[in-house]
Amino acid sequence: MVSTADALAAATTAQPTPELWAWTKRHKTIVAGLLILFALAAIAIGAPWLAGDPLQFEPTNRLKTPSGTFWFGTDQFGRDVYSRVIHGTRISLVVGLCVAALATATGLAIGVVCGYYKRADAIIMRVMDGMMAIPAILLAIALITLMKASLFIVIVAITVPEIPRVVRLVRSVVLAVRARPFIDAAIASGTRNGRIMVRHILPNTVAPLVVQATYVCASAILTEAGLSFLGAGTPPEIPSWGNVISLGRTFFQIAPWIIFFPGIFLAVTVLAINLVGDGLRDMLDPRIARRM
Amino acid sequence: MTATDERQHPVATRQTNADPILSIKSLETHFFTREGIVRAVDGVSFDLGRGETLCIVGESGCGKSVTALSVLGLIPPDAGRIVGGSIMFEGRELTTLGEAEMRRIRGNQISMIFQEPMTSLNPVYTVGQQIAETVQIHQKLGRSAAWERAVEMLALVRIADPRRRASEYPHQLSGGMRQRVMIAIALACNPQVLIADEPTTALDVTIQAQILNLMLELKDRLGTSIILITHDLGVVAEIAERVIVMYAGRTAEQASVADLLLRPQHPYTRGLIGSIPRRRAQSQAKTIRGRLQEIEGLVPSLREPIPGCAFAPRCGLAGERCTLERPPLEARTKGHLAACWETMHGARRT
Amino acid sequence: MAAYILRRLAATIPVMIVVALFVFFLLHLTPGDPAAVIAGDEASPAEIEGVRKKLGLDRPIWEQFGLYVWNLMHGDLGTSIFSNLPVLTLVKQRLEPSLVLAIATITVAVALAIPMGVIAASRARSAVDRVVMGFSVLGFAVPVFLVGYLLIYVFAIKLRWLPVQGYQPLSGGIGGTLRSIALPAIALGMTYMALIARITRASMLEVLSEDYIRTARAKGVARSSILLRHALKNAAVPIVTVIGIGFALLISGVVITETVFNIPGLGRLTVDAILKRDYPIIQGLIILFAGVKVLVNLLIDISYTFFDPRIRQ
Repeated sequence: MVSTADALAAATTAQPTPELWAWTKRHKTIVAGLLILFALAAIAIGAPWLAGDPLQFEPTNRLKTPSGTFWFGTDQFGRDVYSRVIHGTRISLVVGLCVAALATATGLAIGVVCGYYKRADAIIMRVMDGMMAIPAILLAIALITLMKASLFIVIVAITVPEIPRVVRLVRSVVLAVRARPFIDAAIASGTRNGRIMVRHILPNTVAPLVVQATYVCASAILTEAGLSFLGAGTPPEIPSWGNVISLGRTFFQIAPWIIFFPGIFLAVTVLAINLVGDGLRDMLDPRIARRM
Repeated sequence: MTATDERQHPVATRQTNADPILSIKSLETHFFTREGIVRAVDGVSFDLGRGETLCIVGESGCGKSVTALSVLGLIPPDAGRIVGGSIMFEGRELTTLGEAEMRRIRGNQISMIFQEPMTSLNPVYTVGQQIAETVQIHQKLGRSAAWERAVEMLALVRIADPRRRASEYPHQLSGGMRQRVMIAIALACNPQVLIADEPTTALDVTIQAQILNLMLELKDRLGTSIILITHDLGVVAEIAERVIVMYAGRTAEQASVADLLLRPQHPYTRGLIGSIPRRRAQSQAKTIRGRLQEIEGLVPSLREPIPGCAFAPRCGLAGERCTLERPPLEARTKGHLAACWETMHGARRT
Repeated sequence: MAAYILRRLAATIPVMIVVALFVFFLLHLTPGDPAAVIAGDEASPAEIEGVRKKLGLDRPIWEQFGLYVWNLMHGDLGTSIFSNLPVLTLVKQRLEPSLVLAIATITVAVALAIPMGVIAASRARSAVDRVVMGFSVLGFAVPVFLVGYLLIYVFAIKLRWLPVQGYQPLSGGIGGTLRSIALPAIALGMTYMALIARITRASMLEVLSEDYIRTARAKGVARSSILLRHALKNAAVPIVTVIGIGFALLISGVVITETVFNIPGLGRLTVDAILKRDYPIIQGLIILFAGVKVLVNLLIDISYTFFDPRIRQ
């Protein structure tokens, strides 16, 4: 990650340095993914200036094909699809980032406990196995059905099924690090548990967690879109990509643009995050890199 | 200038064998890496006589294994290839042979045993299946006949209860047994040449002797010629008839085993002999320096072309000529060749 | 080997117990009054009470739990709030399309993805390899519904080769069924194929660098036989593992695909239940799907013994 940070810092300076260029050439996928994500972040932040009101009804402009005025056409209520897609970028990125952060933080906490306390481990891992047996989308649907729909609830509901995989990852790293001789040495020299955890164990979880977090982020964005598409996600008044697509279902045969534009944004976003994730994994774990 | 120098002395490389089974001349095998060309084999020449046991010695990374893989055409094509020289086997040029014809030679007329018995057998098939496969491919035997041959081969390599062992998987066998299985696979089609690449390095000392003795015994019984690659001069002293010393992808010296151990001509060979610890059992013990004498310095990078003698940077005798001009492999006495300016006739002797 | 299978079988029991507990307590641990949430925003107090009674939420929790466990043991997955039909009956009505779709998808995906991965690995860094890798990266990013609608647009609306939506039951002849599920199976299988092709390639590349592959080459084994006989069987364990992992994705995908293609299967049952807030159906489907997933994983664990003799001991 250090080199990523360096590269980003270097990127903000005026002239690209030869080192940055070399780094870019070696990690093409990360750079390509990051560039797309920066563009999407800019769109999300600048949405109010880039596009008009996504909620404005124009009954006279129902189901217009894409044109100079309505770049992505309009939906059955005469709302501008372009504007809705641009604003939807916010929802997707927020959901992706929040779920990645929440799932990683929770998973890290639980995973460290599991790796450290044998008795808790036995119980928690059984619960995680059970949770992993439940298909993610169904678990999220169940959670959402039981609570009042809101963006926050959607985020929580998508986070819960992502946690077990993070826990497993953290636990395996903690167990692997604990088996190394320097931990024995630290324990023998009287270092406290908390200190061992912070100084020796947590740093080793960073690299795999960063990679995992990107995959969680991508999967969360897809899940949110899927849930909204099914009518079990973000409240319909919020213009998320999944909601736009969901509304386009009925008129798909005559107005396919309502589905295609948000669909393409969704695919490009997930692709960009996966590119960064794959690139980071290759960079952090050269053994796999040689194979992939 | 590398290869041509040796080509000027083709007569010198000729051995006492009038009709060698395998004849390698000025072989060059290069690997193409992102950092540049690696000259893993950089002009190696030798002949292998019928029924002869030839040892190739040298430090790791000197091109011994690559030479062996080149003979069988097993250099991974995306990594490197033979760029020069020739490999004649039974009157056929192997370097230009097509893949299909090469396949008919591999495991059939020329076989190979590798260093790592623990990982060289396929874990998901029984050892019997793996021996039988070779026979099925090359001798067009039916399944049951091939299986019988596999059991026979296991008995030949002295595995007790071969019929039961044939249906066991590699993980059920010890390292020594697995190497016996490898030998059984290699000899199943009665090859004319067996190349063994450090076959005993990964094994216990007691097992090492058993495996070497087995190879020698089978060689005598089946009339196979053997190329044994090793870095262990003790092994050389025990089983070799003739020895090639390789350094940095080139032949440094070649001689009969007694000649080499008693009258080493190349400073590198002298260094190697100096660096084996004394063993009481060895007949040549008297001539071998007692203390372990590491040769100072490292094997040179094979990425840069080396104009002179590759050993010059580590050599105590090296003069100016050694770093500029590549020494030819020249006969010192009958059948004893060395590539060194300083110990050549007329040069000062140490 | 029998011991291994028994151990695997035994390991599924705690998983299913956790699933059952989880599903039960989900209803009770979520904040707020579950009866009110399930009844919906516009429900009158009387309607909320009705839901409460129907779900037995008015009884003490231990009694509810006892009844729930008792019913589960007898194969009773609960009763729909709205139709008053047992969930199992509803499942049986909707099973065929989902089952046909899932089997078709897995068959097509595995049959295409494994050769793709093998070819890519055998020609690593070639143009073919790049195409396969590009496909696997893309297939993983493009959502099921986008692929689905694209396929409908091209093959059903523009080219008119296949029906737009709907499902032809097997009773009407297999030809019609296959035509009706061709597009859904491709849409659903895309991610699955990407996943399998990718792991096949990675696993094959690792195996192809093993010493025993060099041994096989030294024996004079033909290239095709090295790939299929020597390498693929060794590469199989990670591949079948991913086929199992991907099965979970498939279940999520089935729900969405059936919505896109208007297929009256278990996925539609799920979506209808969401829209009507028919919680018992969701509950029953979770247990059912989790059970199927656990079963698939068990079968995959058992299949390891076929590929790797070391597991048999």
